Amino acid sequence: MAHRWGMAVDLDKCTGCGACVTACHAENNIPIVGPAEAARGRAMHWLRVERYFEGEFPDVRVKFRPVMCQHCDAAPCEPVCPTYASHHTDEGLNAQVYNRCIGTRYCANACPYNVRFFDFFNPQWPKPLHLQLNPDVSVREVGVMEKCTFCVQRINAAEIAAKAEKRELKDGDVQTACAQACAARAIVFGDLNDPESEVARLSRSPRAGHLLEDLGTLPKVAYLERQTQV
Amino acid sequence: MSEAARKINDDLLRPLLRTSWRFYLLVALLGSVVVAGLVAWVWQMWNGFGVAGLNNPVYWAFYITNFVFWIGISHAGTLISAILRLVNAGWRRPVTRCAEVITAFALMIGAMFPVIHLGRPWLAFWLIPYPSNRLIWPNFRSPLVWDFFAISTYLTGSVLFLVLPMIPDFALVRDRTTGTRRKIYGVLALGWRGTPKQWHRLESAMQIMAVAIIPVAVSVHTIVSFDFSMAPVPMWHSTMFGPYFVAGAIFSGIAGLIIAMAALRKFLHLEDYLHPVHFQNLGKLLLMMSLLWAYFVFAERLTVWFGNESAEVQVLRVTQKGTFAPLYWTMVVCNFVVPFTILSLRRLRTISGCVIASFCVCIGMWLERFLIVVPSLGHKYLPYSWGTYRPRPVEIMITISTFAAMTLLYTLFSKFVPIISIWELKVGAQAVEEPVVQHAEHAIGEARP
Amino acid sequence: MSSVYALYPTADAAQRAVNNLHAAGVPDEQITIVSSEPFEEHEFANREKATWMGWIALAGAVLGLITATWLTSMTELAWPLKTGNMPIVAWWPNLIVMFELTMLGGILAAVITLLVTAQLVRRRPAFYDPAVSDGQILVGVAAAGDPATVERALGVADVRRA
Repeated sequence: MAHRWGMAVDLDKCTGCGACVTACHAENNIPIVGPAEAARGRAMHWLRVERYFEGEFPDVRVKFRPVMCQHCDAAPCEPVCPTYASHHTDEGLNAQVYNRCIGTRYCANACPYNVRFFDFFNPQWPKPLHLQLNPDVSVREVGVMEKCTFCVQRINAAEIAAKAEKRELKDGDVQTACAQACAARAIVFGDLNDPESEVARLSRSPRAGHLLEDLGTLPKVAYLERQTQV
Repeated sequence: MSEAARKINDDLLRPLLRTSWRFYLLVALLGSVVVAGLVAWVWQMWNGFGVAGLNNPVYWAFYITNFVFWIGISHAGTLISAILRLVNAGWRRPVTRCAEVITAFALMIGAMFPVIHLGRPWLAFWLIPYPSNRLIWPNFRSPLVWDFFAISTYLTGSVLFLVLPMIPDFALVRDRTTGTRRKIYGVLALGWRGTPKQWHRLESAMQIMAVAIIPVAVSVHTIVSFDFSMAPVPMWHSTMFGPYFVAGAIFSGIAGLIIAMAALRKFLHLEDYLHPVHFQNLGKLLLMMSLLWAYFVFAERLTVWFGNESAEVQVLRVTQKGTFAPLYWTMVVCNFVVPFTILSLRRLRTISGCVIASFCVCIGMWLERFLIVVPSLGHKYLPYSWGTYRPRPVEIMITISTFAAMTLLYTLFSKFVPIISIWELKVGAQAVEEPVVQHAEHAIGEARP
Repeated sequence: MSSVYALYPTADAAQRAVNNLHAAGVPDEQITIVSSEPFEEHEFANREKATWMGWIALAGAVLGLITATWLTSMTELAWPLKTGNMPIVAWWPNLIVMFELTMLGGILAAVITLLVTAQLVRRRPAFYDPAVSDGQILVGVAAAGDPATVERALGVADVRRA
């Protein structure tokens, strides 16, 4: 059966440390926009840790939620792209084809999760970060949209390796950078079509829910609700 | 009859045949502002789109506001020309070409903004469905592709609707000029002579086009509204956007038309052709559209407030009480309070009164477009990602230059083409003059050997 | 064979001239009338009013509709890309493009019919006098078999030949 890639994030384990954000930057050649541009609201974190404070002192509660592209099965960003730069693959990923993008930014407006980012300038990395670019991932030019791809380069590499070795992909063969970096193993990535995979098991948990589910986007990231309080 | 015809010819051809230094000065001034706008755009393409003020999450702002605003202004022509033609309203005659010119130029200016706001504008041609070696076609599910087809159709239709009745007037100008100008107008006049067959065919074509252009105009601004209503953004995803935008477009279009007509009347000395009654009629239409606009805004906001859906209510609050409140209430005053006051009192519904109301409406409608686009984008469903927007010089410069471009194009047009349709005016004058002339003709006929 | 015509300052005078030409045995097809404005009220202006333009415009609209239907569904099937859980051939959005191209087809068909039937793509006007632009109405016969008869029928002192 074809793969259907999905993710589960256990909010009970997440400490909000941000290692996943850093790993995503490193893996996917995400530009460093600099303090001035970040102040203008143009920071590009494909994966961000949303933090909310609730309540008044001394009953303050903190909530963390790592938010990345949900790879929605009914993604609102896909039909609005005039050039098919944003479309759905057969493995359930929302693909962003940089070469087709003409930068209308409609997809970013349509995305309720605000997980799409625009290259306002040609990317640059202050030295020595230019030495750590990932050769498996393209560098985007000014004027195109980019977002979390579920580390499609790793998925493709694993699939090619499995095909070459004439075997099936096992659960755990593909790890996204954020899942790999998470010290608490809060982020789990895998094939939702494999009922034995950890991500499928976690998605069936009674604690599992989805972000902005009532909008009808059919997101594929399951968030397991927090049971302990900070 | 010849006397009246000669006067019409003289008055309406004068701007073509005589030019003062003021014209050159105006063109120079407007031209430099337009050039500054083009420079700003090239600067933006050269330095990267980041020189504009957009950010995450407000990815659309000034450019899309201008796009919707100018496409809205373009609905003036269709209403006046096409609808009034179909209902045989005689008072449309001096006004039709002024209105159709606004449509054509406003569309051209508005249609530039989808290109200006692109991240990679040199690839804008990918919206055209042609068999390319990229082996891909445009996505017909996207409202932006609908925009492309709608605006192309409307532009083609409007330009034809404008140009076809110009042909008899080109023949007239050809006969009144000499040298190179005569040759140019001769080419523009095509093979026009004025036989009954040609008049009938022209009339038939105009009727068909009038019938066709009205649904196209309605569809154009509806499709522009679909750019917003098809996205799940709070206070964008409204079923009312289609009619709301069309009403707003006609509203701003009439305001633009009143301003253009008042300017023409004053600077080209067309007092004999553009009478206060024309302005009063348009003023009444403007009043009606102001009420309609207020009705739509009330219906939408009441629904949001009563429905209490948290994301939508947040946008409502931020426009009416939060950061955007000054702009919002300015808009309400400009679009409703001032026009309603001026236009409902006959004493105030003079030409100047209508012009003041129209300027207010133009400002108010620009603000309305802005307030639809930016607050919603800044306050979507995840509060962590809320943001704000501030325009930067490149956006402001380009916006100002579009107003200069519109004025410049209009000025140039009225220099090279009679701004009032001469033959249509004469047809209107026929009904008035016939009885007077018949007596004179009898006398002449009997005197002939 | 040469053209004979005269200029009349009013539509009534032109109508009388046309009546006289009819009386002199000149049929409508041979009479040319040129004016700088249309005269709906007068009988001489009511020639060649019937036209197929409306039907041609309708045909153009149907052609536009067929083109748009083919364009949208063909391209959507040629490269079937999934977007937003929508069907590959998405009829709701396709209807919008179909509507626009239908109207465009009708408009263009009407304009092309106008250009062809009004013979607007001709470079040289066949039979014309610039005085028409001053409000005169030209009534004449393009290829007059008997110039003298026509001259008499036209009835004015200032008869011109072209």
